[in-house]
Amino acid sequence: MAIFGLWIINKAGGLVYQRNFAEGLAPLTSNEYLVLAGTLHGIHAITSRISPAAGSSSGAQVIEGETFKMTIMLTATGTKFVLLTSLAETTADVILQKVYEAYSDAVMKNPFHTPEMPIRSEGFETRVTTVIGIGQS
Amino acid sequence: MTIYSLYIYDRHCACVYYHDWHRAKRPKPANEGGGLYNAVNRGVAPQSSESSVQTTPTFNSPRNTLSLNTGHVVAVGEPTTPLPQQTEHEVSKSNALPFDEEAKLVYGVVISLRNMVKKLSGRDELFTSYRTSAYRLHLLETVSGYKFVMLSDPNTDNLRFVMRQLYNGPFIDYAVRNPLVPMDSREQGIDNDYFRAATDRFIRGLSVFGP
Repeated sequence: MAIFGLWIINKAGGLVYQRNFAEGLAPLTSNEYLVLAGTLHGIHAITSRISPAAGSSSGAQVIEGETFKMTIMLTATGTKFVLLTSLAETTADVILQKVYEAYSDAVMKNPFHTPEMPIRSEGFETRVTTVIGIGQS
Repeated sequence: MTIYSLYIYDRHCACVYYHDWHRAKRPKPANEGGGLYNAVNRGVAPQSSESSVQTTPTFNSPRNTLSLNTGHVVAVGEPTTPLPQQTEHEVSKSNALPFDEEAKLVYGVVISLRNMVKKLSGRDELFTSYRTSAYRLHLLETVSGYKFVMLSDPNTDNLRFVMRQLYNGPFIDYAVRNPLVPMDSREQGIDNDYFRAATDRFIRGLSVFGP
């Protein structure tokens, strides 16, 4: 049970927030994270196109490797919240919902924040620390 | 609980085999010149433009063998107007992709995710599956670079063991050990009646396949 990291990807595929928590995944440069976020954005769009089932499909919601998984939450406005956790983590959805709440309160209601731009807000940092802290215990 | 489809790719990024079971929307036949190998799946092979443009292939045998139900021939160069009895089909398939494009998209997603997982983990960790609201995709890569991709219901458990068995059984027996199937030829798939039948039997016998 570990939470490795949190990404927020804006509707254009740009990484606007990235933070690491527990150790366990490779440390990457911020440029590499940007590239991965862009890739994920593209993959997310394609995965909804190749559905074999009747009706429409969402994009990828959970992506699994051998020891970790990425849980992706797409909001109504197209912003993606991505949580990197261990495979056994069951609370990823709940945590993402809480992060979204914190994002709405501390980022979107902040008059000094420019939409779609990187998030630099102390209030949001603290809120995230509280949320993920709860999830980790 | 069900299994939708199986794609096998070789190490040159090309689809060498395709089989589907409970798919809602059949893929359209591949475009000519789309780079699809021969012997991948008779139902999705490019249709010759001289005969039966846009005729809807109907699959009624469990082995997906193609049988055309109409003998309509549309002259080359004429705009293809859907024939009255096909309208229903055409509407339901309106957003379906031609098979060659679909196969490329699936491969692209799988490769990108595999690279992403490798990069993120920092060790040679393998991408195993992803899930959307409608389906789950599983990947097994063999040492020789063949990739088995299986699409199933989103609630199924990991199907890697199933693909492993498929590899150890039908794939080795009817593709690798078959002198008439050129492996790694870069121009031909591995589809043959025995492999298709064995794969079909194996998948239909699984408990996850459902009724």
